[in-house]
Amino acid sequence: MADAVVLPQVQPVQPALRFLRIIPGVLLLGAIGYAGKLLEQNVGKYAKAHHWVFPNIEYVLWAILLGLIISNTIGVPEIFRSGVATYEFWLKAGIVLLGSRFLLGDILKLGGVSLLLVAVEIVGSLAFMTLLGRLFKLKPKLTTLLAVGSAVCGVSAIIATKGAIDADDEDSSFSIAAILALGAFALFTFPVIGHYLHLGDRAYGIWAGLAVDNTAEATAAGALYSDAAGKLAVLVKSTRNAMIGFVVLAYAIYWASQGQAKAVGNKAAFLWQKFPKFVLGFLLISVLATYSFFNKDQVGALANLSRWAFLLTFAGVGLRTNFRDMRKQGLRPFAVGAIGEVAIAVFTLGLVVGAEKLFGF
Amino acid sequence: MSAEDNAAEVKKPWRLSLDSWAVVVALLAALLVRAGVFKHIPW
Repeated sequence: MADAVVLPQVQPVQPALRFLRIIPGVLLLGAIGYAGKLLEQNVGKYAKAHHWVFPNIEYVLWAILLGLIISNTIGVPEIFRSGVATYEFWLKAGIVLLGSRFLLGDILKLGGVSLLLVAVEIVGSLAFMTLLGRLFKLKPKLTTLLAVGSAVCGVSAIIATKGAIDADDEDSSFSIAAILALGAFALFTFPVIGHYLHLGDRAYGIWAGLAVDNTAEATAAGALYSDAAGKLAVLVKSTRNAMIGFVVLAYAIYWASQGQAKAVGNKAAFLWQKFPKFVLGFLLISVLATYSFFNKDQVGALANLSRWAFLLTFAGVGLRTNFRDMRKQGLRPFAVGAIGEVAIAVFTLGLVVGAEKLFGF
Repeated sequence: MSAEDNAAEVKKPWRLSLDSWAVVVALLAALLVRAGVFKHIPW
């Protein structure tokens, strides 16, 4: 048997072992999230009992802060890492369950407006980030990754685009670090700006969903403002996420035409592969809730289940943010990302204020 | 198709994505709530 291909022997990790490996990290997420919840309930009470002036800090912020402190002081030990990485899974499960709190009519009404805003935001952001990348003389594929990360959906979009355009690992880690650092910054600045400008829950939620890049940070930035703003931020962010396939496909075709990436074969299969399936789950639960598949108590139970899933997510957002690692990635891509993000935040704020006047949402 | 492509294809077994798992788990949880297995989830 000549020319036999010798295949590498990959030892598959047993599913049971994989499951056991994530338990410590998931327990850590739960412990931090629950500690955040206890702090929210007790710090305010304690301050009031002692006549201190102390702002009401929500569990979202406590969970993120506790995670940030651990990640940036003692670090996350190896044993917890696989489980901490599941925070994206909890985020997506939480979003699907949140669908029970949206009636289909609301989604169609707000989804229509947000789809229009998302389309304008994506085109504007891609054009602006591409221009900035050229001005700062960044490598073209690095510029593409930063543009997609800020226009569509942060880290997931960068990872999806990296594979489709054959970008370097170094470029994608630069872009991911920049997007994560800016997401962490947005978490703390967006609610302050929103309160300063007296934005209503709807306007703020739509703004957070349009301007904050990563889904976890957009969800947290919305929830930090109010429950209603959090719901809206998730809806708008999910609309943005749904666009990922089209944007990545367009870039894949462009880079293939330049001879610098593999040609895309079946475009429909490519779109389906990149499409975030949790958006479909969210819509399905919403349809079921609209047609009274769940009674009122069950909707309440699903909403609480979604909150628990988000609690784990917020702890994970803090734990995976390490400022030292981000600093190592260099200043130039970060500067491009920062200038771009500020411009996109101002641009989308203008869009939301304009749309609020026009559509009266 | 090159040997590397061939190897890469053989190496990748079909798996549900993280996204799809999240949907499956969330829908299963919703069905359990609907069936009355979990009557009340506190917050």
